[in-house]
Amino acid sequence: MILQIDNLSFSYDNTPLISGLSLSADKGEIVSLLGPNGSGKTTLLDCILGFHKNISGNVKVCDKDVLSLSRPELAKLVSYVPQTHTPVFPYTVREIVLMGRTAQSGLLGAPGKEDFEKCDFAIARIGIGHFADKPYTSLSGGERKLVLLARALAQKAPLIVLDEPTSSLDFKNELLFLEILTDLVRSDGISAVMATHDLQHPLYFESQGIKTKAVMLCKNSRIRTGCPGKIITAETLLDVYGVIASIQEIKCEDGRVLKTIAVLGNKIK
Amino acid sequence: MERAKFSGRLSLPVTVLLLVLPFATVFASLFFGRYHLSLNEVILSVFGSDSIPLTSRVTVLQLRLPRAIAAAFVGASLAVSGAAFQSVFRNPLVNSGILGVSNGAGFGACLAIVFFGGGVFTYIFSFVFAVAAVVLSCFAGRVSRVTTSVTMILGGVIVGAFFSALVSIMKFVADPYSQLPSITFWFMGSFASVNYSHLYAALPMSIGMLMIFLSRWKLNVLSMGEREASSLGVDVRKAQILIIGGATLCTASAVCISGTIGWVGLVIPHIGRMITGNSNQKLIPVSISLGSSFMVIMDLLSRTLTGSEIPIGILCALIGTPFFVYLLKKTKGGFRA
Repeated sequence: MILQIDNLSFSYDNTPLISGLSLSADKGEIVSLLGPNGSGKTTLLDCILGFHKNISGNVKVCDKDVLSLSRPELAKLVSYVPQTHTPVFPYTVREIVLMGRTAQSGLLGAPGKEDFEKCDFAIARIGIGHFADKPYTSLSGGERKLVLLARALAQKAPLIVLDEPTSSLDFKNELLFLEILTDLVRSDGISAVMATHDLQHPLYFESQGIKTKAVMLCKNSRIRTGCPGKIITAETLLDVYGVIASIQEIKCEDGRVLKTIAVLGNKIK
Repeated sequence: MERAKFSGRLSLPVTVLLLVLPFATVFASLFFGRYHLSLNEVILSVFGSDSIPLTSRVTVLQLRLPRAIAAAFVGASLAVSGAAFQSVFRNPLVNSGILGVSNGAGFGACLAIVFFGGGVFTYIFSFVFAVAAVVLSCFAGRVSRVTTSVTMILGGVIVGAFFSALVSIMKFVADPYSQLPSITFWFMGSFASVNYSHLYAALPMSIGMLMIFLSRWKLNVLSMGEREASSLGVDVRKAQILIIGGATLCTASAVCISGTIGWVGLVIPHIGRMITGNSNQKLIPVSISLGSSFMVIMDLLSRTLTGSEIPIGILCALIGTPFFVYLLKKTKGGFRA
């Protein structure tokens, strides 16, 4: 198992936020973290990234407890695609991607020849070579996300953690991002944990035939874990979000069956 | 071609230029001054020839040379610590004195001038209180569980204000005819009294600059924010201690031999950004070179422009500001997106 979480509980100032969560991710598997605002998606990502020390239960990446690892050691196992942000200084895309190699050099080190090659490879793999020498701050939201994904790829960690990576992207860029991520998981055997508000994402991953599961976090309800088709049901959406919806199946000409969510209304009027 | 750009390092000609520039300015500054010396006299003095008058040799080797070397070290120290602080605190408006160094050192200098008659005590006290101000600032900024760059800067501002009040008290109690002018001149900054014994301060400055130079890649990563830097594999606490420690050694030593010269630590890093871009891998060496050359030239001007010396702090701002604005217009600001 790449990621193994056993009976994880976490409280903010004595208010329990996550209680008794167990979750695993295999090599080449995408886990979608779902749930309303404030349900603990980002908190769970933070636990995987080792930012919360006072947790009960275990978070292991590649059979190593994340809290027992130093920062460089953990960075070699888990890479991170943060939510959209603007750096203070306009570094070039290459300089940003190269930051993914930081863990490979010590406290006083700087990237060397091998790091430049890994960085080159990541830029080519994500397909952002044509703007690699532009300042990061001059890019559009979609381009920035691809740069951050390339940086995570340059980190060469078996697990990528993504925090709402498509939240600011337009229709096409969102699909482009999901396609690249799916390809990384399928072809390179990378595992991913992705927090998202779009319930269509886990259904998309399922339709692509890659190993995937969804986790539905909810403050006032049990945590649901399983394959996306079983988690995203009319019953769950009503219970967790209070939204009345219907899951429709669309049969494509090429034989695929796609699921889509038709929203009917809000329970609370 | 693509490769050279990609290495993130400075090209060879630029590296050579940056290495030569400080030495060239120090050497050039030996030729100028109120005591007129011919080209031959200066060169022969430097090479220790006995064939020229003692006065000439003393002027070149005992007055102009130590002064230029001190200016070079101080300029480099202030510029490099300004650049480091700007990245660590993720704030382009920060300068080398952000953690209360100048006011702390100022208070130390006042104490020495008022109670111990100045002299060597001025250097010791200003160094000790400069370091104390940084430690206090870091402590003040860490009161809340999470230390962010904002609370650190706030800590620095508050501690700076505290020491500035203490300086005012010292000015109030100081003797207005002898001690008060000394205090005032100290705050304006000057290399006028520098001799070789002051160059002991070059050791802590060199150590501090080395600490920052070796961390220059980490500065890029740290400027992305603590969360991201951690997730990229930087031990943020260790890196901050190393960099802030280095910058403190630099600024405290600089301030105690030259008084407060605030401007250099803010603007030289920005001039560097306009020339070579934002990556600290290039910016740190560029700041060292530009800072030292700039300060040597400013000191040269401060002792030659008029009959009496112009305090260098004043001159830096007067000449540096228009120069900065010119560069900003010309390069459209390397800082802007």
